[in-house]
Amino acid sequence: MYEIWLASNIVWEMALTVWPLLLAAAVAWLLLMTAAVRRPGARLRRALPAALLCAAAGAFAAFVIVPGAVGSSLGELGYWVDVANLAAIAAGCGVAVGAFAWPLAAIFRARAA
Amino acid sequence: MKRIAGQTALPPRAADAARRRLLQLGAGAPLALGASGAATPARASIRTNARIVIAGSGLGGIAVANRLSRMLDGARITIVDRKEEHNYQPGYTLVATGVWPVDKVRDRNAEFQPAGVTWVRDMVAAFDPAANAVVTAGGQRIDYDFLVVATGLHLDYAQIPGMDVAAIGSNGLASVYPGPQAAQATWAAMQSFAQKGGNAIMTLPATPLKCAGAPLKMTFMLRDRLRQAGTLDKSKVRFQSALGAVFGVKVVNDNVLARWKDLGVGVEFSRRLAAIDIGARRATFVSPEGEKEELPYDFIHVVPPMRAPDAVKNSELSWKEGPFAAGGWLEVDKATLQHRRFPNVFGIGDINGTPRGKTAATVKKSAPIVAANLVSVIAGGKPEVSFDGYTSCPLLTREGSAMLIEFDYDGKLTPSLPMIEPLQDSFFAWLLKVRMLKPAYLAVLKGRV
Repeated sequence: MYEIWLASNIVWEMALTVWPLLLAAAVAWLLLMTAAVRRPGARLRRALPAALLCAAAGAFAAFVIVPGAVGSSLGELGYWVDVANLAAIAAGCGVAVGAFAWPLAAIFRARAA
Repeated sequence: MKRIAGQTALPPRAADAARRRLLQLGAGAPLALGASGAATPARASIRTNARIVIAGSGLGGIAVANRLSRMLDGARITIVDRKEEHNYQPGYTLVATGVWPVDKVRDRNAEFQPAGVTWVRDMVAAFDPAANAVVTAGGQRIDYDFLVVATGLHLDYAQIPGMDVAAIGSNGLASVYPGPQAAQATWAAMQSFAQKGGNAIMTLPATPLKCAGAPLKMTFMLRDRLRQAGTLDKSKVRFQSALGAVFGVKVVNDNVLARWKDLGVGVEFSRRLAAIDIGARRATFVSPEGEKEELPYDFIHVVPPMRAPDAVKNSELSWKEGPFAAGGWLEVDKATLQHRRFPNVFGIGDINGTPRGKTAATVKKSAPIVAANLVSVIAGGKPEVSFDGYTSCPLLTREGSAMLIEFDYDGKLTPSLPMIEPLQDSFFAWLLKVRMLKPAYLAVLKGRV
């Protein structure tokens, strides 16, 4: 479907403008995951609920913040397409937050135990 | 006159036709243009030694160059354009209304041209389609087997006595069209005006326009800036249209007029900006009957009449009769975008004499079609893909909201996705305009979408 191809290209072009940041984030995430897996006592599965909670908080924050960050506001959500798109963006932000929260939660739990 | 290095002189038309037949024989490999058109990237290339000249390196010229360089193996592609800077023109209204900084519309042409393409840094001064050649302003003669005309259009400010593009930004004079500097200066003028308020005049000429939504966006955004500055009560915004409407698609026109009525924007029709006195801040409008009226203003947004550049207008390539003859627009078939009299010539972008659509969205949809049809012709076939005239206008209605209007040659609304409500104020349409359309533009430029 052409629209999917177009959307993929839009995401690709946006990523190209911040690729050093994305690369740094990917490396940081890999390091965190490695540290979490290797840490004695760390349990990634047990850290999942905390990570999901962080993801939900991140998604909620993104839903509230993103409109203002692009020069608009929540009051401009005119119809369900606006809400759905903002929700999708917020979900993406939530996944990113959750991805980092997961190994961090595992590491902190291990340290606390 | 000089001939481009590495190219040999060809005798005129008969020999050129023979040469094209030879090229066609050598280009017999199957095409994989994609059934869907041309909206998908080509997956195989055909062998040819055709000489292809692309006049112009805006979005249309570079998008077609990128596509052809992938679809053809061995073709000698030459881009002719003096311009080094590549401007993201759909962003001008964002710069001119203070949404974007000016550097977001500035890039380098060299970054987007495909490898292996010859770039002649000069402007085409004359087209000689009978001899299959173009002549540059520097006197260089470049022969071709196939030509893509992508020159863009000419902003004819000279038709407005008293108008001085260099004065944009001063004395309340604004005009978003000439380039990044003018857009930036327009924002300066708009800010200055919004602080005090006063009498604003927005103009619309009677010619075909590039981004016909821009005058409307400027009007909506000016009114919103006045509201934000708290000077709306002290201000009057009047839209002076040289036509009987403000937009060519009736349902959109009616919607905009209803909105402006609610917002207190006055509209007068059949009034063409005939002259301007920048220092005195007075504009003269004329009716079709020749009646003149001089209006004082504190802020004016001038939209110039537009036409084809002289090189096209004065050539055999322009329409000689019909509604596009006066502007000297390129005589292409509106479906195939192939020239109606010179089958080895195609047109893309603003230069085309077609019913609607001088926007980046038009190029997005038509660049794959031009490339596919040109390759078909090189291969000895006929143009097979048709263009429906698709164009799009994310119409800013205020800061933070827009309408995503898409339509075709017939003025029929054609939303890309069925759930999109074209006339709905929308955060998503705003987000699309300010964050997503430039990445989409870059993908078009690189010949990917």
